[in-house]
Amino acid sequence: MVSVGRIVQEESLRQFKEMGTDILTIEKEFGGGGPPGSGAAKSALRLDTVLAIPSRCPGIAAVAPSVRGNGDISFNGKKLERSSPMGVTASFLDINKLTMEEGRFLSDLDEQSRYCVIGSQVAAELQKQGAARLLGSKIRLGDNLFTVIGVTNEVPQGGMRRFEPNEMIYLHITTGLRVFANAEIQSITARVSNGTTNNAARDQVMAYVASLGKGQAVRITSPEEIIAQMEKQMQMFTLLLGAIGSISLIVGGVGVMNVMLVSVTERRREIGIRRALGAKRGDIRGQFLIESVILSLIGGLLGIIFGIGASWLIAHFAKWQFALSFSAILLGVGVSNAVGIFFGYYPARQASLLDPIVALKSD
Amino acid sequence: MLTLRDIRKSYRIGPTEVEVLKGVSLEIKQGELVSIMGQSGCGKSTLMNIIGLLDRPTSGSFMLDGAEVSYTNDDALSEIRNQRIGFVFQQYFLLSRLTALENVALPLVYRGDKSTNSHERCMELLKRVGMDDRAHHRPAELSGGQQQRVAIARALVGNPSLILADEPTGALDTQVGGEIMELFKTLNAEEGITVVIITHDPGIARQCKRVAVMKDGVIVP
Repeated sequence: MVSVGRIVQEESLRQFKEMGTDILTIEKEFGGGGPPGSGAAKSALRLDTVLAIPSRCPGIAAVAPSVRGNGDISFNGKKLERSSPMGVTASFLDINKLTMEEGRFLSDLDEQSRYCVIGSQVAAELQKQGAARLLGSKIRLGDNLFTVIGVTNEVPQGGMRRFEPNEMIYLHITTGLRVFANAEIQSITARVSNGTTNNAARDQVMAYVASLGKGQAVRITSPEEIIAQMEKQMQMFTLLLGAIGSISLIVGGVGVMNVMLVSVTERRREIGIRRALGAKRGDIRGQFLIESVILSLIGGLLGIIFGIGASWLIAHFAKWQFALSFSAILLGVGVSNAVGIFFGYYPARQASLLDPIVALKSD
Repeated sequence: MLTLRDIRKSYRIGPTEVEVLKGVSLEIKQGELVSIMGQSGCGKSTLMNIIGLLDRPTSGSFMLDGAEVSYTNDDALSEIRNQRIGFVFQQYFLLSRLTALENVALPLVYRGDKSTNSHERCMELLKRVGMDDRAHHRPAELSGGQQQRVAIARALVGNPSLILADEPTGALDTQVGGEIMELFKTLNAEEGITVVIITHDPGIARQCKRVAVMKDGVIVP
């Protein structure tokens, strides 16, 4: 169980590292009261003010605003499932740590163009629908046709991104703002410059947005906050696993104690013989303690083998990266040792306190 | 080497106290072959437990090799049992999971004796009782007489000054029992080991140089 917990932790960390810890997510803040879209929402960020962030805030190296759209997407007259359009800028590729498999990404020269770049999942879908060449294929999005100019490499599932990169159809943001219904910039990913702390960068952005005048507010999420949140969850998760683990340890320990008590009862005569031959109480106690430790160590070993197998299986089916936690293995050995001593002590003591005459007479 | 003076032992059974030994006095000298004989229930097993330091008297004095031993602590008693007394039981009491050789070596284990010659010592004793060809057999593969021979080798391995045998022939037929008695007599005669045999069988008692008869918790003169 600890092992699974460890894998989950490593997985989240891995996803995190993939994105880097110098990324801030800036989102439009929705004002209090009133349902969204009823006019109570604060006014949208304008593209030019967003693109001006790096020049106004020295702590921000680059920004990648994005706008999400919806509507039917089709290819050759057939609807494409599991894909969604998004308007982005040229810096989007870098900041989101995406790479190109084929063709090129959108550039600043593609403003208002009818070009698009597709994720690997979408590319696979197109090929399934019979696209001979990906580049140059035309995808229909609402009333507009877009020409594919590039395909991004496949990205492992999950991660810190707020979108599924493999299922995306990227347009230039200017195109997106024009063709999407109710389009506005909802989310901006920003990279913090080297040498600036996330908090400093965040304050700069806050100040800049506030200087734009009334009705402009943003919420900025830094990786630290997400990490803190994640750790809190992880702690609860570990606590829960630990609680379940301790209950099963106690159950197992009682089992060990029972087995040892039965063994002591069955071997009373042996105890008597050993005592008659000169075994001290301590010798008898030691013998039964060692036996119970060996018993629980065997159990612990089986448990470790089983645990590694189970966590491998879980990792395999959840598509997480498998990680062996050596501290968990050490913990397992140590704990089973302790269980053996703790729950073996009582039966061993009983054995050592047996009166040799009574023990010899029993059968 | 062994002096019992006015040994009393009583057990509490429910509300009543039963006195099993009512003042036993007995002296056994180094190199004697003594049998303690009596009907069942006369207290000879209790006496044997006290002599074997498996039990303590309620009152009285028990000197072993000139030292008072009846009131020493449990660990010290274990050590004396291990070093100076060899037990032979009616039911042999070999450990069934161990081979004959391992059974013989058991007292040495509790002596903390890890010397390399203990193996040879055990083999030598198995040879002495004529069981060296069965050293690696387990008790279940041996006959009663053979098991008792192994048990005698085990009693001898620690070089005890006293062999205490509780009905050693009780579970054997007459012929095999006779052989076991011969073994005791040879050990006593050739090596000067003190042997105390507890029995209810006058035929066995008669083969000993001295017989102490017990009746109702006392030694009959």
